[in-house]
Amino acid sequence: MAGPALARCAEELEPEVSEAGYRTLVVERRGPVGWLVFDRPEAGNAMDATMLAELERAWSELDRDPEVRVIVNAANGPNFQTGLDVVQLSRDPEALREQSRRTKRAELRISAWHNDVSTPVIAAVNGACAGGGLHFVADADIVIAAANATFLDPHVSVGQVSAYEAIALTRKVPFEAVMRMALAGRHERVAAARAYQLGVVSEVVDPPEQLHERAQELAETIARNSPAAMAVSKRALWRALELGLTDACREGAKDLVSLWGHPDQTEGPAAFAARREPVWTTKATVPPTATAGLDAAPSARPPEPGGPR
Amino acid sequence: MTQYTCLKIERHGKVGWLINNRPEQLNAMNNTMRDEFADAWLELDRDPAVRVIVHTGEGRAFQTGVDVSEIAGDGVGMERYRDSMENFDVHFTAWHQGVQKPVITAVNGLCAGGAFHWVADADVVIAASDAQFFDPHVSVGQVVAIEAIGLLRKMPFEAVMRMALMGRHERMPAQRAYELGMISEVVDPPERLRERAQELAETIARNSPAAMAASKRALWRALELGLTDACREGAKDLVSMWGHPDQTEGPAAFAAKREPVWADPVADSGSDSAPGPASDSAPGPG
Repeated sequence: MAGPALARCAEELEPEVSEAGYRTLVVERRGPVGWLVFDRPEAGNAMDATMLAELERAWSELDRDPEVRVIVNAANGPNFQTGLDVVQLSRDPEALREQSRRTKRAELRISAWHNDVSTPVIAAVNGACAGGGLHFVADADIVIAAANATFLDPHVSVGQVSAYEAIALTRKVPFEAVMRMALAGRHERVAAARAYQLGVVSEVVDPPEQLHERAQELAETIARNSPAAMAVSKRALWRALELGLTDACREGAKDLVSLWGHPDQTEGPAAFAARREPVWTTKATVPPTATAGLDAAPSARPPEPGGPR
Repeated sequence: MTQYTCLKIERHGKVGWLINNRPEQLNAMNNTMRDEFADAWLELDRDPAVRVIVHTGEGRAFQTGVDVSEIAGDGVGMERYRDSMENFDVHFTAWHQGVQKPVITAVNGLCAGGAFHWVADADVVIAASDAQFFDPHVSVGQVVAIEAIGLLRKMPFEAVMRMALMGRHERMPAQRAYELGMISEVVDPPERLRERAQELAETIARNSPAAMAASKRALWRALELGLTDACREGAKDLVSMWGHPDQTEGPAAFAAKREPVWADPVADSGSDSAPGPASDSAPGPG
């Protein structure tokens, strides 16, 4: 079955402006699910200056859309994401100057986490996910992968430093696996099955062609839960990566209490008792207190002087 | 000794047992049970005859979180619950209570929502092969925070986040929990769970109580700190044992091929050195 990643006809291979105004992404809605699809298959979906700018806009557009309850991040073509477009970097470094500045200042706006997305994000990885592509794995809430997916970090094989993506991964999965990937560079790949064992991904989809169908299904299941409760829970869990255990629990307790009195807190048990599907408030009605956490953002930022992102 | 109505406290040899005992309510925690937890952890931790504590549940569930129906119908209880949460002043897990002895959680059957408090806050976790893990909070409009935060410091993040976002619509089997390192052993057939927990506890009870307490403190504190700070503080724990009788008894017994005779654990050697939530004055993160 054809996934939502729009099948492209051969004559469409040249990037063109889509109806939503995106040239390197496909941004669309399927029921309660918003899709953010990398769409430079001829370039391994590598991020050029255009895509880098469009990513920031797309995350924001989908996160603000009250109809979008869950976001799936996927790719057209045989590979998921292969990081920064090194071809553009070598031919036209000027085009990426803005991005270099942001990298230096730790102000990246590439992933959902960078953009403070409060909607649940599922990354659906097919084919190669390399280097900077790992941003989208490290920074997603849930990751599933096609059976043919592979993960690698070629930075050091081309004289580049691996930092952001690998650092985030070390907070989420066993360290040795991340360090090995960083040091093995392009000379070794982590297979989908191993990524599953390590807890990098929670599901391997086989056959690979069913990846997008399964991602849609998973997203629709998650969309049945309270948007407000999910947004606050998501914030509490991501913030926990910033703090010591006790401080994370203390701040998490504030998040928990912040939703008390919200309509979803009575609707949930009522619907459960009546054995009907709950009718949640839209995600736009998350109370302001719910966003007034430690750092007033779903992905709490690290303390400024030491290391702003 | 406290009389318990929602818990059962037993002692089998050197092993203290804390058993959730509201099987008709799938061991959901009401106000009485919450108060009893606070007492029971301290009672077992202070009993010098107890070397290791096992926590499990009666019936077909290990635990299923807070008894919402009772707490919601009890104004005073609700108010207390709210206050305790707002201040994160809670006392129902071994970690909350600064328990120094090794704690084994043995998960039988359902482990849902708030039950993850006792998975996250135990030192060792084993489960029956028919155990099922899920977190229904967001499916009933509730936030999941503290128990998931405890878990995600100890196992791969994505699996915890997936459980948090899937709510009641997906369950994790014991085998996957084992693969992810949330638990270290799956007991099959499930009926053998308590037998195996007792066996495991007796094995752990062969080790030096003082050395285990200091090691436990060092490892839990590491979850509060950056790597270098955790090592610095851990070094103090290590040195704190120098000169303790167990440090000579251990090698001597090993050389003589006999079972060591450890010093009795010191009851409550002071809250400063206990594991458990860091106090406000404790060195914070980074």
